[in-house]
Amino acid sequence: MSFFAPFCIPFLVGAAAMFAVLAWKWGSWLWCLPRTDKRLILRGLPTRATLEAVGEVVGESLLHRRIFRINPLLGYMHMSLAFGWFLLIAVGWIETMACLGLHWVPIQGHVFFRYFSTGLPHVAAFDFLMDLLLLFVLSGVALAWGKRFFSRRMGMRRTTKHVPGDRVALTALWFIFPARLAAESITCALYGGGGFLTGSIGAWLGAHVPEFGLMNAESVAWWFYSSCLGLFFVAMPFSRYMHIFTEIPLIFLRRYGLRSGEKATSYDEFQVEACSRCGICIDPCQLQSVLRVDDVQSVYFLRDRRYGMLRREVADNCLMCGRCAEKCPVGIDLNTLRLNARDGLRNVPDERRYDYFKGLDRSSGEGKVGYFAGCMTLLTPRTLSAMETIFAAAGEQVWWADREGGVCCGRPLKLAGETDSARRMMRYNTELFRKHGITTLVTSCPICLKVFREDYALDGIEVLHHSEYMLRLLRSGRLALRRGATRFTYHDPCELGRGSGIYDAPRAVIEAVGELLEPEHTRENALCCGSSVANTAITDGQQVRIARSVAGELEATGAEVVVTACPLCKKALGRGTAAAVRDLAEVVAAELK
Amino acid sequence: MKMEKMKKKRVIVIGGGAAGMQTALRLARRGIEPVIVEKEAELGGKLRGWYVLFPTFTPASEVLNELRRRVHECGIETVLSAQVTGIAPRSVELADGRRIDGDAVVVATGFSLFDASVKEEYGYGIYDNVYTSVDIERMLGEGRVAKADGSRPKRIAFLHCVGSRDEKVCQQHCSRVCCITGVKQAMEMKRLFPDADVFNFYMDIRMFGPGYEEMYREAQQQYNVHFVRGRISEASPMLDGRIQIKAEDTLTGRPLRMSVDMLVLLVGMRANDDNAALAAGAGLRQSPSGFLAARDHFLGSVRSEVEGIYYAGTVTAPKNIGETLNEAAAAADAVAEALGA
Amino acid sequence: MAAINFGYTISRPRAIDLDRNNLRKSDEILREMPELQTCIGCGSCTAVCTAGNLTEFNFRKVHTLVRRGEYQGAYEEMNKCMLCGKCRLVCPRGINTRGVVLLIKRKLGDF
Repeated sequence: MSFFAPFCIPFLVGAAAMFAVLAWKWGSWLWCLPRTDKRLILRGLPTRATLEAVGEVVGESLLHRRIFRINPLLGYMHMSLAFGWFLLIAVGWIETMACLGLHWVPIQGHVFFRYFSTGLPHVAAFDFLMDLLLLFVLSGVALAWGKRFFSRRMGMRRTTKHVPGDRVALTALWFIFPARLAAESITCALYGGGGFLTGSIGAWLGAHVPEFGLMNAESVAWWFYSSCLGLFFVAMPFSRYMHIFTEIPLIFLRRYGLRSGEKATSYDEFQVEACSRCGICIDPCQLQSVLRVDDVQSVYFLRDRRYGMLRREVADNCLMCGRCAEKCPVGIDLNTLRLNARDGLRNVPDERRYDYFKGLDRSSGEGKVGYFAGCMTLLTPRTLSAMETIFAAAGEQVWWADREGGVCCGRPLKLAGETDSARRMMRYNTELFRKHGITTLVTSCPICLKVFREDYALDGIEVLHHSEYMLRLLRSGRLALRRGATRFTYHDPCELGRGSGIYDAPRAVIEAVGELLEPEHTRENALCCGSSVANTAITDGQQVRIARSVAGELEATGAEVVVTACPLCKKALGRGTAAAVRDLAEVVAAELK
Repeated sequence: MKMEKMKKKRVIVIGGGAAGMQTALRLARRGIEPVIVEKEAELGGKLRGWYVLFPTFTPASEVLNELRRRVHECGIETVLSAQVTGIAPRSVELADGRRIDGDAVVVATGFSLFDASVKEEYGYGIYDNVYTSVDIERMLGEGRVAKADGSRPKRIAFLHCVGSRDEKVCQQHCSRVCCITGVKQAMEMKRLFPDADVFNFYMDIRMFGPGYEEMYREAQQQYNVHFVRGRISEASPMLDGRIQIKAEDTLTGRPLRMSVDMLVLLVGMRANDDNAALAAGAGLRQSPSGFLAARDHFLGSVRSEVEGIYYAGTVTAPKNIGETLNEAAAAADAVAEALGA
Repeated sequence: MAAINFGYTISRPRAIDLDRNNLRKSDEILREMPELQTCIGCGSCTAVCTAGNLTEFNFRKVHTLVRRGEYQGAYEEMNKCMLCGKCRLVCPRGINTRGVVLLIKRKLGDF
């Protein structure tokens, strides 16, 4: 039998165009990867990573488990569309084979099987199954319509705004499955067959519409269905639906250990285009929820970056608190992409810059333990003197790296995108640490901590946040604390919690001196104080508004003292509340036995 | 026809500081029966903590005692140790559940002092030898101004605008009186310690009152007080207990650092902590700085937007003692006029 | 450091001539960040400056000169800044000082 009808042309052209663009995009991205990344892929291919990636593709690209966890209704919508469509294709394939045996059938033969199979005997089980799957997908489409019009009822305060390519693809996608339903039903009306859905509608149509009308309608319906498919396929690689296919290689590459860095690489393209623009990142963003800034969130940033229309104001207006990345169902490394976009906008290598570091050494004291206060801590002297008390109580010999001033850790500059110059600062500090022969580096600033751990080459020097250090002193009995009845609440600094994964150490320390009350948003979901150095765009007044909203939540715990472990958070929260705001070190120093 | 004796009108004055006492006295003189509600155990308010007043070095006790004497003499009813929790145009609620009724209310609750320990970088409450202007007045009053170890200071620095004109502590307004207080206290320090060097670190010097500019000039010329234009940014302790301070000498454009024996922070006036609660309950309006907003700046400066509630003194904005006393009289007159007394 | 003179030494015998200085860049900068006009020159930023603590760098002076149309050397001077953010924490006017540094560099840099 022949598997061709003129209405197949839009579909065939669309599919061919889509696969050509896909091949070109993936090919060029892979080709342009840095050599080290290519080596990672080759080394990873024959390992377990590949199998794990396959599992993750099923779990995420088809079943969308992560979205399910965040918002079940939204998860169902994505799953019904992705997994349902996948099953329609897969089961359709099996159906063709079941009917025709192992016989080569061109692609349109599978896709439009119901049209071509009118002469074949029907298998009721497949008719039922295919109708069930179609209903499954249609339920997802219905939810997608619903989400457009009633986003709040879907548990999302906001949904994304679209680019033209998206609108074309979205419109086509909306009509694909209703069109399929119509086309198949009409064919069933004319030739019989079909399951509970298409068969019933077909029977009804057959009874109420004259055959001449159905004949004409059939041709129109199949043309419309094919055109929707073709249009969707053509628009897809240029729309957000590119994520359908891009997430798959991304999962593999990520399993092979590829990561985005401070300089953009073509691996970033996989991440950028894997964004489905689901908009889940919008709600956690405090710039949105507190300040009503609603065009800078990760989804818009990725969109703008992808289409080459990224404005500095968008790139810069982000606290990099990581609340969105925590929720991203695709697991895109949003902060790093933001960072290397800033690098692209701003990095200007200047070899002479910071020549004044030469020969500089303002450090004092001597010891195997080095303490790096960080610039901000110099403005919170209570933390500084508390650390001094604690070191003395533990009998620690300390080398003070920067109490009389020193060179910044480099992270603020890096976060602004001037990554090359930041490296110069990092080199200076690394040499300083080496010169003084320290084996442990303690810092009370999470911003410094993160850059020391991630960007400095400090082999042989253990880097500790002061919360970890104090906990160690407590556990080893070098510090003894009085436990009182004071009720504390703890604010997780972004760079310490989500940034460095340190949630338990500060809590354990607080519980050694009093009772700990958790605010509504805590740990991975903790709010940002609003004064993040990563944001150079918002005003002072906006920072205060964020601080007030966060402080309000901390006050609501009923705690007497708000504790945090970051000088910047401390300063910020202090502006938002009249309650006492203390650094962890102050709390400890006050309760030393 | 027999004239029935009119019942005396009764006005509640909230706050027994300079503003409250003056308002009450003026009301009494106009034939109205005032009742002062004061949260402390005695009358006097913030004036009790003051030693001498600028620009004349008049002892604060002179003004205070005279006001108290007159209040006593006039037999004005006072309710002490009473915290007001709610205001209405004809009554106030007290924390203990009592209600005081009257024909009008004058809010003369004054200001709150800025807590200098909020500006952590200045080390107040962390290091010895960092004081506030209020500490200095108290020490002057006690007749014992000295470093923490009891010795005589040789170098003293005053820092202006602590908690004023500072968005970082959400206090945008100018407290007005700290500039002249800094000058006054610097002169007192020089009188006590003629050998000491006294420095005033300022952003702008605002000498708005009569005799202030002359006093400023006198401090510079007769007392050799140094004025450095720059805001101190950090204070850190030294091994010998002195304080090292950093600023930019903005007139030379160079960073400046020096060690001092005493650092005095000239703390500003904040809107009264109770304003928000009182305003919300009574429908009064707060200005962005948190002070209660008068109906207008000119003809209604002692009137609130609620009929029957009036303002006197620093509850509406920072003021000096003289202005406060004048405004209190104006408030009393406005009340009397409205009550037809 | 002494070898490089960026034009900010006190001895430079030159008046700021607002009749001749081209304020176009300055206007652009102030349009993007009007809050810079609120600087009252208290010097807090310069006093806390991490870079200014190590080398000759005066943020207040540089941005003031830029506002007066004196652009020469401003980019190079601003490049001494490490963007640590201490100044932003102390500015009594709440000026986004880090933003000012980046803005001035962007407007006056060669790129």
